[in-house]
Amino acid sequence: MISGDQYRISLRDGRAVWLDGERVHDVTTHPLLRKSVDWVASSYDDHVGSEHPMYRVPRSRDELREQMDVLLSSDRTAATTAGCMALATAADQLAAANAAYGARLERFATECRNRDLRVAAAIDDTAKPVRIVDRRADGIVIAGGKQHVVGAPVVHELLVVPSGRSEDDDAAVACAVPVDSPGARLIASTTAPRAEDDRHHPISRGHSISEAIVVFDDVFVPSDRVFLAGESAQAGALADTLNVWERARAVADQADRAELIMGLAQTISEMNGILDVTHVRDKLAAIAVWAKMCRAGWEAALANAKVTSGGMVAPDDSYLYATKSYGGQLYSEMTHRLHDVAGGLVITCPTIADLDNPATGDYLRKYLRTMEGVSGEDRMRIFHIIRDLTADTYGGWDKVTNQVVGGGMHFQQMATLDSFDMAPARDRARAAAGIIS
Amino acid sequence: MPMMTGDQYRASLVDGRRCYIDGELVDDPASHPLLASAVTSVAATYDRFYDPDPQAFHPMYLVPRSSEDMQRRVEAMGHSDITAGTTAACMALVEVAPALGKLRPEYRDRIYEFVEACKAADLRCSEAITDAKGHRRRRPSQQDDPDFYVRIVDRQRDGIVISGSKMHITGAPLVHEQVVLPTKSMKPGEEDYAVACSVPTNAEGLTIVNTTNAPRGDDTRHFPISHRTNMPEGLLIFDNVFVPNERVFLDGETSHAASLAHALGLWERTNAVAYSGSSADRLVGLAALLAEMSGASDRADIRDLLSEMAIFATMCRAGWEAAMKNATVNEDGTLSPASIYISASKYYNAELHGKMIDILHDIAGALLVTAPTVADWENEEIGADIREQLGGQGGYSAEERLKLLHYVRDLTADTYGGWIAVTESLAGGGQYAQRLVTLRHYDLNEAKRLAKRAVGIGGELAEAPQAAGVVV
Repeated sequence: MISGDQYRISLRDGRAVWLDGERVHDVTTHPLLRKSVDWVASSYDDHVGSEHPMYRVPRSRDELREQMDVLLSSDRTAATTAGCMALATAADQLAAANAAYGARLERFATECRNRDLRVAAAIDDTAKPVRIVDRRADGIVIAGGKQHVVGAPVVHELLVVPSGRSEDDDAAVACAVPVDSPGARLIASTTAPRAEDDRHHPISRGHSISEAIVVFDDVFVPSDRVFLAGESAQAGALADTLNVWERARAVADQADRAELIMGLAQTISEMNGILDVTHVRDKLAAIAVWAKMCRAGWEAALANAKVTSGGMVAPDDSYLYATKSYGGQLYSEMTHRLHDVAGGLVITCPTIADLDNPATGDYLRKYLRTMEGVSGEDRMRIFHIIRDLTADTYGGWDKVTNQVVGGGMHFQQMATLDSFDMAPARDRARAAAGIIS
Repeated sequence: MPMMTGDQYRASLVDGRRCYIDGELVDDPASHPLLASAVTSVAATYDRFYDPDPQAFHPMYLVPRSSEDMQRRVEAMGHSDITAGTTAACMALVEVAPALGKLRPEYRDRIYEFVEACKAADLRCSEAITDAKGHRRRRPSQQDDPDFYVRIVDRQRDGIVISGSKMHITGAPLVHEQVVLPTKSMKPGEEDYAVACSVPTNAEGLTIVNTTNAPRGDDTRHFPISHRTNMPEGLLIFDNVFVPNERVFLDGETSHAASLAHALGLWERTNAVAYSGSSADRLVGLAALLAEMSGASDRADIRDLLSEMAIFATMCRAGWEAAMKNATVNEDGTLSPASIYISASKYYNAELHGKMIDILHDIAGALLVTAPTVADWENEEIGADIREQLGGQGGYSAEERLKLLHYVRDLTADTYGGWIAVTESLAGGGQYAQRLVTLRHYDLNEAKRLAKRAVGIGGELAEAPQAAGVVV
């Protein structure tokens, strides 16, 4: 198992990455991408000397809880890497199309685990979907683009799967592509703060994960890394399985996030001295109801965990979709409430550098404090985190990606409807109406 | 005195003002990377409205006396930067001048002289209202630091000395005058806090610590709005600042402390509501274009979302129309839009704004926050890739799609968008304040009378159901 530093070295492999119109020759030293690298490196260091638990596939409820703890405390690429392991448990489904596919996928997952590699999920197609453009005796050649590939510039492997069912057999392609493959180009973006002194971005300075549009320009993939090549019947299910831990992480994270927003609203109300104001209590109460329901939905997804055909224990999808949909629908309203109780300093609070400057520091300490026990500096930190999380670059990225993951609010509602266990509901209605079937 | 040109304006800012940003003292705002574009936007307004006629003035100084005046004003403000809007502090002063004149005639004279001087010299003013406030539930005099509200610390023969802080002062480092108004009503015993005055930005003892919504980085072309339209927000610290008598508009009369902020509040809310219809229409247009460019225009769920936005935009416009239709004129002939429609519209707009942005984001998808930059587009190695990968349907090019995505991200999902969301809901009073104002102006007695008549209680005879609004 490799260390954070060994991980950094492994990224210096000639990968073709661009950011802001410039070629990035070394992501580990680039001022913005380095921040994502450091985050991933820190989770390597957390588990150095032992196998990272994300490679384990949970087989019981207890292991599922452990898995979620790991995914939430690690960097964002842990969930997609774990998704790769999950996909391997469904290898038997691929074997139905071609006996070799399942075995190859299992070998690839084992290789990742043994070499301690990180994997990004390349699912959403660009306007030019990824297709097989050539079939050779020893492999295939793919061309096209995948967008919104979270972590791509800082992982080792891209796991390409179809974004859905397609009429086009050549678009039914699943394969693993090393990031440094000839012909793979990454057009990266990041929410890492661009201020030279980024101390007033308490979250995004350490927790920005770079993502990319990945262009596959006639990339050759050897046969042993091809898991689907033209069998469109199998195309639809892969993305769902690969995303299982991203999906679970998003809902678990939503519950944590809702409690953080509750805590921030409560803390800033205390600091402002408005805790007993009626309309403030109304707003806090609305956030409390939301936070409890987000938590309840996640707990229900865990309590109703299902065992897949491959023996993996995963949270129940119908609760995941419903909770994601519910939490997302109300997210903007809740941040609006938070801004309302916090006030304008959310966006106008000076920086740590202003606090450090002797010409202004004492003024800020004096005027940002509110009462005994509330220092100006502490209150400043609360405003910074609220801004970074809900009213700045990272907040915008976080809100949009959470909302549109898996197709947006409409899709999440439809997925809830589709995964709803309808037979008992229908029976209940018929019984209530006295219809004897 | 003639109006200023943009260059004269730029030069006027180098006057020894003590402005800080990111922990550094700024000698000349026009040459600071984070302030330069805001200075340019103000200078552009100066150039746009420049008229060498010595009697000419910017329409922001026009006191509206008819709905045509108001329309002219709204139109001119739509072509001006934000500091033209904050100069409305002068309008608020003029509005309450007669009332203050009854307390002490010199207040009225000083206000008119001050505003005339600003108008003649073509100056910009800030609205320095919100105090540090300390513990929000304690009166200014009960705080453990007496400076949590700006106060008079000394009264001298020729003026007063003030200390304290004012926060979220939009445009503060780029204007000439900081118009200090009390943030709320004061009670007997709080005379030192009942102070209104104007302080030149370069006054001895005034320090301004700034933040900005301007984008950072060398190449900011993928911020199509905020790389030009941005504005710093200042935190003002008055450390024993001397204010000569002729600039003092209120000194100790607690009974009138709130009237200035109230007068200004209506101007601020009016500004917000006047443009809400056109900005809502713009949101609908952005959503429709996003749908077209991704080839989703005909999807039933997308049409549902667009209809929801169209209803929102129409109601925003209706609110402003109703406010103008029911406008009132005061004894001096100054026209004010109807408060109840202004507050109700502002509340409605802020309450649903987030929902409308959600819809926009849903239609845009994740590319909104991950789209390549203009520099990526221009790069020889990957430019062609981007053209191919972005597509762009419905007769639009990939470049047009990229421009649209940049615009929507800048407006709704980045630094500037965060600033818009927070200021739109807080400027001119938060949501609770709008509710209070609406209820205060609402004719509850008339509503109750209608209800009594309908039901036939409280001494009223029940009327026929048709008249109670029951459709038959």
